[in-house]
Amino acid sequence: MNIVKWWWGLLLCFGLVALGRVFLPLPFAIEVLIFSIYTMGCNYLLGRVGFISFGQPAYLAVGAYAAAFYFFYLGNNPYLGLLIGIVVGMVVSLIIGPLFVRLRGDYFALVNLALAVIIFYLMQKVLANVTHGDNGLWFLTSLTATPILDLTRPDQFFIFAFLAAFALWVFYKYLDDTIFGALCLATKMNDDKVKSLGYSNFNIRLVAFVIANTTTAFAGAMYAVYLGFVSPAITGPERAADPVVVTILGGVGTLYGPLVGSVVYTGLKDVLSKVLGNWELVIGFLLVFIMLAGERGIWGSLEPQLRRLFTRKAAGGVSQ
Amino acid sequence: MNAQLLISGVIFGLSLGGIFFLMSIGLSLCFGLMRVITLDQLLYYSIGAYLTYTIGLLTGDVWLGIIGGVIVAAMSSFLVERVVFRRIYERDLAFSMITSFGVLIGGVGVIKYFWGLIPRPVPAPIAAQVNILGTDVPSYRLVIIGVAMLVYLGIWIFLNRTIIGKAIRAGTEDSGHVEGLGINVYRLFTITFIIAGALSGLAGGLYAPLIMVDPQMGLEVLAFVFMVVIIGGLGSIKGTLISSLLVGQVVSLGSLIYAPLAQMAPFAVMLLILLIKPTGLFGSTLQKR
Repeated sequence: MNIVKWWWGLLLCFGLVALGRVFLPLPFAIEVLIFSIYTMGCNYLLGRVGFISFGQPAYLAVGAYAAAFYFFYLGNNPYLGLLIGIVVGMVVSLIIGPLFVRLRGDYFALVNLALAVIIFYLMQKVLANVTHGDNGLWFLTSLTATPILDLTRPDQFFIFAFLAAFALWVFYKYLDDTIFGALCLATKMNDDKVKSLGYSNFNIRLVAFVIANTTTAFAGAMYAVYLGFVSPAITGPERAADPVVVTILGGVGTLYGPLVGSVVYTGLKDVLSKVLGNWELVIGFLLVFIMLAGERGIWGSLEPQLRRLFTRKAAGGVSQ
Repeated sequence: MNAQLLISGVIFGLSLGGIFFLMSIGLSLCFGLMRVITLDQLLYYSIGAYLTYTIGLLTGDVWLGIIGGVIVAAMSSFLVERVVFRRIYERDLAFSMITSFGVLIGGVGVIKYFWGLIPRPVPAPIAAQVNILGTDVPSYRLVIIGVAMLVYLGIWIFLNRTIIGKAIRAGTEDSGHVEGLGINVYRLFTITFIIAGALSGLAGGLYAPLIMVDPQMGLEVLAFVFMVVIIGGLGSIKGTLISSLLVGQVVSLGSLIYAPLAQMAPFAVMLLILLIKPTGLFGSTLQKR
């Protein structure tokens, strides 16, 4: 069956990530995992529903600040903080979703980006006496250790992030096989037809929007727990393009795209800005270069080749 | 709130609206004709402001600096169009958005390299005050309002009374048809892009004496430009004018009531208008080809 096949793919892919843990520095591996979760939501919106979500940092900030407020003012259990981040992210996207999903693609992109910038100002200036403005909220030392999978220790945090990313991948893969997944693709291709089949485009888009943004908020809460501090820079205007770029770099709508894209983008960013020093220049030219290089992305152009390789091998096996 | 404060607030809002109009008209024009989103207009805005600073410092004449800023902004927009945008006209909207965003961020890096991180002051070219209804108003703000009105008139005459303008307007409706008439559409694209870049440079040059010029200035006004363009409707010039005046007043009068409101109030207005009309006030129903 189909299921057996993609299980192998997932296991192989995450096996490589686990193997990478041995060779790569730990912060880099964790960064890649969180970033891939962050991108997953954007990838789903862009690849399955056809929304260019340029404001994904807004939802990242919602999750991060929800967790940060809990850690700073209320309690110190990391798991509870993550849960709060997820719930608040879901509630916020449920509130703004009905307004946003009615918009046409180009307006959706601009309004989302405006939302990200507004949340940046909100956290930096308007709520400065709660969020401490640009200094951010620091709570690394106040987090308590938990008995199983101690999130305050980076090596155990890696295992948690690894498991979370794996679970999300299985979830999104499962979503593709359900009727809902098929409907998402259908609203992207031909929304009139979906309507004539008796489904509501609005509901489909709203559910997809909430799922994707909740995933992003989860990534935000993970950043809060891992870094131990949150500042407005997390949703700064110069980072707004990150998730969309990684999505396109990895290959829009492909299963492994976010992971491949995160590895390449985080790596390039680290290496190039260390060599050149001028961070903005590096990001800017990287974006332009990636956009001009191709539409299908790394995994998108790699996948057909791999598939051909495997099917030829399989066909050869049958004929012998 | 007394009358004097209100009058100066309204004048302040009008001049701010004029600046917003010049800033966002480039984005709107480019979307109207080419269906690309050009966030790099904000780079030409910063370039205009920085050249106003430098030339103003060297020659002692800020007006000369503004003219120089407009010229260099137009030249850099021409360069970017030739090198980058030529390759992405046919692609999806996400591509133009991210590519122009990359140009903007990269340009901020270049500006930091040349001018450094320190904010620079630009002296106001006219220091005189004018008395309107018993309130002293800086006449430079009135000049800005006048320039914005002239630019709107100029664009209107250009689009409605000249043959190139008519071709551009026809191109926004059906570019395939215009091409069939033997008009080079890509040349129209280039002309539009240069005009847009020059106007953004003009916005930067005019605004520079009222604020400090710093490398992040383009990113700081990003949200306002979006709100203006979305409220007015993408691609509509009349809509951009009306919504920029509206946003200018909301920012100016909002900050009189409660200072943090200046950032948040236009956003609330935008959400309200999108709730009623999802394509903005004067948005066209044209889709990306």
